[in-house]
Amino acid sequence: MFEVMFSALWAMLTSPSIMGLMLVGVFIGLIVGVTPGIGGRLSIALAIPFVFGMDKVAGAVFLLTMHAVNGTSGQISSIMFGVPGDGDDAATTIDGYPMAKKGEAGRALGASITASGFGGIVGACVFAFMIPVLEPVVLSFSPAEFFLLAILGITFIAFLSGGDNIFRGIIVGLFGMILATIGMDPTSGVARYSGEFLFLWDGLSLVTAVLAIFAVPEMIALGSRGGSIAAVSSTQARFSFRQIFEGVMEVPRHWWLALRTSIIGALIGMVPGLGGSAAAWMCYGHAVQTSKTPERFGKGAVEGVIAPETASNAKEGGSLLPTLFFGIPGSSGMAVLMGAFLILGIQPGPAMLTENLPLVWTLIWALVVGNLIAICFLLFVVRWAAMLTFINGAVIVPFILMLVVIGAYVSEGRWENLVILVLLSIIGYGLLKADWPRAPFVIGLVLGKIAEESLNKALGLWGMGFFLRPISLVLIGLIALTIGIAVWRQVKRARRSAAREIAA
Amino acid sequence: MKFKLGMAALTAVTVAAAGAQAQQGADFYKGKTVNYIVATAPGGGYDTYGRLVAEYMQKYLLGSTFIVKNMPGAGHLVGANAIYASRPDGLTIGTFNTGLLYNQLMQLPAAKFDLTKMSWVGKAGSDPRVFAIAAGAPIKTWQDLLDQKQPVNFATAGVGSASYVETIILTKVLNLPIKMLTGYNGTEDMLAMRRGEIAGSIASRSSYDSFVANGYGRFIAQIGGDNKDVPQLASLVKDEKAKSLISLVQSQGDIARLTAGPPDIPADRLAALRAAFKSAMEDKEAQEKAEKLGRPLEPGYGDDVLKQIKDALNQSPETIALLKEAMSKK
Repeated sequence: MFEVMFSALWAMLTSPSIMGLMLVGVFIGLIVGVTPGIGGRLSIALAIPFVFGMDKVAGAVFLLTMHAVNGTSGQISSIMFGVPGDGDDAATTIDGYPMAKKGEAGRALGASITASGFGGIVGACVFAFMIPVLEPVVLSFSPAEFFLLAILGITFIAFLSGGDNIFRGIIVGLFGMILATIGMDPTSGVARYSGEFLFLWDGLSLVTAVLAIFAVPEMIALGSRGGSIAAVSSTQARFSFRQIFEGVMEVPRHWWLALRTSIIGALIGMVPGLGGSAAAWMCYGHAVQTSKTPERFGKGAVEGVIAPETASNAKEGGSLLPTLFFGIPGSSGMAVLMGAFLILGIQPGPAMLTENLPLVWTLIWALVVGNLIAICFLLFVVRWAAMLTFINGAVIVPFILMLVVIGAYVSEGRWENLVILVLLSIIGYGLLKADWPRAPFVIGLVLGKIAEESLNKALGLWGMGFFLRPISLVLIGLIALTIGIAVWRQVKRARRSAAREIAA
Repeated sequence: MKFKLGMAALTAVTVAAAGAQAQQGADFYKGKTVNYIVATAPGGGYDTYGRLVAEYMQKYLLGSTFIVKNMPGAGHLVGANAIYASRPDGLTIGTFNTGLLYNQLMQLPAAKFDLTKMSWVGKAGSDPRVFAIAAGAPIKTWQDLLDQKQPVNFATAGVGSASYVETIILTKVLNLPIKMLTGYNGTEDMLAMRRGEIAGSIASRSSYDSFVANGYGRFIAQIGGDNKDVPQLASLVKDEKAKSLISLVQSQGDIARLTAGPPDIPADRLAALRAAFKSAMEDKEAQEKAEKLGRPLEPGYGDDVLKQIKDALNQSPETIALLKEAMSKK
């Protein structure tokens, strides 16, 4: 076992062609990551003609690293400008952008890049450890569990309501859940709230919604306020490698949180059916819920950057498992990757373990080494990128709004999304102005859909008794606990303020 | 003898004329960009075939640049409508699910196309349908399925999708003991079969081949294709009404992986597109690549494909009524 493991690493590190291709893969992956609207799967689809005829190990390493480091650079724009590249990055925006506004873009970037790399590496470790128990674990999650997991995620809304008013968060969350019902209902075949518009049949575009609710309002606010994104001057912010290094050190300081969210992320990635965005959001919710000072979140808490970043990168290692060993890809990105593997002559399936074990280890090591290269490279160049947050808003707002428009259009190639962008931006700006929380909206939108679809399936399969399965009961317990904690905190807060009033 | 010679000469002339026309059309494509629309997101069969076709058509349409554009949405309707509505200058072609045939047969308002009027370039492969059964299910043969006392769970994609339509019409007309569960997209049905919550699915053979090769399931019947390992459904059924519906499903699978453009593409350009498509399908490298992907090339060309489409759409009023009934009642 160990011999295969380390000989694979040695073979990889000593092969100039594999390492060269990995460097190219990391570089392309990072560039694709920062470009709004172009996802990892499209980059792999485009790369397929080039890997044809390549050595299978080199080709697989190239594609995998390209795919894996995508998320590491994706959050740069969500931290600096509040412009998330996709649904995963949106969770990073909630605390990353306020940090940039405080002049701590460097610290946020250092933390997020390190967290992302850390998550990727932990994800690879989870991959390695889970191989023996892959089957029972993956196969024990059915629609009933997906439904309850989604509900558990939705209950985190209670902790994301920012200030004193839990009801604002619930209202915004319900609004997101209502919008999640737009589209073709798979069980009745009815196109809901879609009118004559075919583009709404598949539901609201997540990227567009996220850009409208987070990015556009921030840019309007910046434009009308004047000045730069960072509210302090660049000299005050001590903007330097030191600040980035401080950010890097936040990850070991919060190592226990980072480890937990990485493992949760990898597990969510491993079980196909929940989707990538769910991992980042559930871990963000988990960070807030377990924090002793939840009121700091949304205002620039570094844990709010670390948790979603570790999760969204760790899930890559996890989602590779069912793809490689069942031959059943867990996400559309993995489906493209599997197609590319077939071209290279790698036949995913249970035989991978017996016939291709060295290749499996090479892929695990590629995830680790690729992430390390990405971290080092980004930490070095990001210093100049972060300087952009000190540029005058009048210069930068039009440029960023253009990025937003491109992102909303390119993600699905539909101009209609631009109309949605404008409409939802109005709501987003209203929420910002009134100081209502915006994160519950995305949670409602992402998890509401999963909850509904899984509930329909679970009811069809088992009827009303679907939740009487062991894992389901554990999840129900967790949901009850979460709600209990939320209510208790609310009551305590109400009492405290009442006592304060009496004292006054 | 004279007659034969005459025929040969005539054939030669027509072939030469077609060749000349194709050449004329081919000149048009020098320095031009062709949009190849794929009506799904990247990944999966349509995208794989689409990218392969685009790559090798570009090779044989000298001086042209093919750009693959993914236009997913509403179960291929968005992409198909876009191809149909595009300008017929020969610079926009694409691929979509032949299952849209059902939409046209049922005259659903969201289908804004007439498949018989489109400019058919060809088809790259066929995609026979199979009854795939999970390894853990007690159903080993077609007879076992018929003998089930309790309905068994079958997964389909959303209501209205091609997989739903096929499952419901076959279940109804063959009176199968099947309980349909909708909303299984992508590979969710395979995982559900592995978990044991779903007994089977009526799906395309190419997507289930590796599933079966890995020992997770088996095929008990097939519609279309020339594989010898699975009995043809038509041979297991006697009812004539059922046979006509089976042949509809079969023709749908036969023309899968099509390439078509909007109606009224100028004849010379269409000829050039068809010639390039043919050369692409005969390209050794393309064949090898397709084989590796588990998506072998079984090409069909131009008017032959159009004829197949017309035949498939030429269904008796009873069949259409049956389709509509199947869709309206659950």
